[in-house]
Amino acid sequence: MNTLDIFRRAGRSLKQAKARTILTSLAIGVGAFTITISLAGGQGGRDYADAIVNSNTDVRELLVTKENEDADTIPEFEPNGAGSARAAAGGGGGGGFTRGLQFISLDDVEKMADINNVTAVTPSFSPAVDYITTEGQKKYQATVSPFSPSVSLTFAAGSTNGNLENNQIILAENFATTLGFTNPADAIGKTVQIGATKQRTVFSGAVAQEFSYEVAAVSSESGLAFRSQGSLLLNETAISQLYTFVSEGTSGYNRFLAASVIVAEPDQAEVVKATLEEQGFTAQTSADVLGTVNTFINVLLGVLLGFGALAVITSIFGIVNTQYISVLERTQQIGLMKALGMSQADVGKLFTFEAAWIGFLGGTIGAGLAVIGGIIANPAISRALDLGDISLLIFSPLQVLAVIVGLVLISIVAGILPARKASKLDPIEALRTE
Amino acid sequence: MIQVNNITKTYGRKQNAFVAIDSISFTIPDATTVAILGKSGSGKSTLMHAMSGLDRPEVGEVIIDGSDILKLKPKAVDRFRATKMSFIFQSFFVQPNESCFDNVSMPLEIANVPRAQRKQKVEAALAAVELLDKKKSRARDLSGGQKQRLAIARAIVNEPEIIFADEPTGNLDSVTGGVVEDFLFNYVKERGATLIVVTHDEELASKCDGRIDIKDGKISSIKGLDKKGAKQ
Repeated sequence: MNTLDIFRRAGRSLKQAKARTILTSLAIGVGAFTITISLAGGQGGRDYADAIVNSNTDVRELLVTKENEDADTIPEFEPNGAGSARAAAGGGGGGGFTRGLQFISLDDVEKMADINNVTAVTPSFSPAVDYITTEGQKKYQATVSPFSPSVSLTFAAGSTNGNLENNQIILAENFATTLGFTNPADAIGKTVQIGATKQRTVFSGAVAQEFSYEVAAVSSESGLAFRSQGSLLLNETAISQLYTFVSEGTSGYNRFLAASVIVAEPDQAEVVKATLEEQGFTAQTSADVLGTVNTFINVLLGVLLGFGALAVITSIFGIVNTQYISVLERTQQIGLMKALGMSQADVGKLFTFEAAWIGFLGGTIGAGLAVIGGIIANPAISRALDLGDISLLIFSPLQVLAVIVGLVLISIVAGILPARKASKLDPIEALRTE
Repeated sequence: MIQVNNITKTYGRKQNAFVAIDSISFTIPDATTVAILGKSGSGKSTLMHAMSGLDRPEVGEVIIDGSDILKLKPKAVDRFRATKMSFIFQSFFVQPNESCFDNVSMPLEIANVPRAQRKQKVEAALAAVELLDKKKSRARDLSGGQKQRLAIARAIVNEPEIIFADEPTGNLDSVTGGVVEDFLFNYVKERGATLIVVTHDEELASKCDGRIDIKDGKISSIKGLDKKGAKQ
């Protein structure tokens, strides 16, 4: 019998048992829905992470730290030694006691700068400033961060052209309003003061001083920024001046928790990373950062997919059951077809195709609802999670197709036993009527 | 020509063994109508199943057109049934949810007749049993007589050489039954086909050229046929 004819007969048989076909399909549809949504979420999550990492890091940039050779041993206290991470509390404003991490000294910075293809090494300055203010306003707590051209910012007003002068500052939008400017544009060109205190040392008491900067731009909140958000951005020279003022003379001066290394070409990042690691540093490229985030997303995705798979497994039993009942109900029809010369293989095919149709129907209904629902829900999700114009559910036609094809194949496998039962049916028994 | 040589079919095993047909032999020439008569349980249905290759007797030969269908591979037997023979049943076995057209089209699909030729053949068969106007009706909406006429259309659509009819009028009143018989005999006469009818009905049997009476799995009498090997 012609395969196309069998296929059409299979479709007709299902049409004759509409309610049963649809209910069985819906069971598999639940699985299709879950799997499609989780795949879309995974895709969206990865794209989102990708966008975050790309707009916050530069592919030419490596983040370098120095780990203890033996991270399990807590280092001994050395009052002025280069090995202790304890002294960080005073000058660096970093993390205080950081187990397992060693400081990066100026020697280390030079060593990094000597590596082939490295164009710049910037230690991570993070001076602890006291406040920010402007004329006629109160003093507000603040933190400053270095401006990095590789971090893409969205501006509410003003711009930087990728470059910030020594006396310029970028304000986060909430600072601009807090400091009494009527709107972000109003702040541009105005002067703000940052107050800092020189750390108390053995030789001198605390000295407070104010530094003035001109507002170059006001950054608005972005769904993609995770670094520097809500902080004030100064260029490297300005921030290192602040750092020197705050930390000079303390034990933590010129000892950094991390440094950023810029290489000449993006494809040299991995080579430089290897060299750095040979020298005892730990280096992370932007690809590594992305990898870490993606691992997390993949775990979440795996859990969701697991639920989808569970739904599919349940629906397999539904298909087996439906098809068994169908074989029982159609015993006479099967007997007749065999008496008319239909081969065992073709009878088996007929029932296999019916199972495939059910899988196709369920897969299409589930995946279709997932796509429609996702498209409708996407703006709401983005609004709820404050993602701006980023969509968290991204449907790729290929993935949706793969889900449907996969479910058709699974349905065919589920239909094997009932199809076998049908094909083995004895036509004489089947046609015996009392 | 159908040659049945010494076939025996046993159901069950050992103590429960039951001999349904016991060493039966006869020959039916081409273009003959034959009635097989017997009480229920006499083995007449088993004989029909064996002659059509649906059942496989453990002993004997059924030679149709020179080949022993009991020795053919299952696929070849299927092919044989799809192209050379067809069936009519007491309970019609039409597919109630399908249209008359699809019911009649089924044997053609099974025999791999190209789609282009099917329409014309199906319509000719429906016209032969005067059901062409019901082409698109679902079979469940037909009366009993119409259902059996539909079954006849299905049986003749592929122009078989042999038609097996198992109590074709058993579920019909005598008038409707008579109409159905006429359609059946007309086709057989026009085509020069062989008709084998299993029945209780003496009147139907009397319309046939030959007659085989079965009792307890054996031939009790045979008329109008070659008696070669028949046991009295």
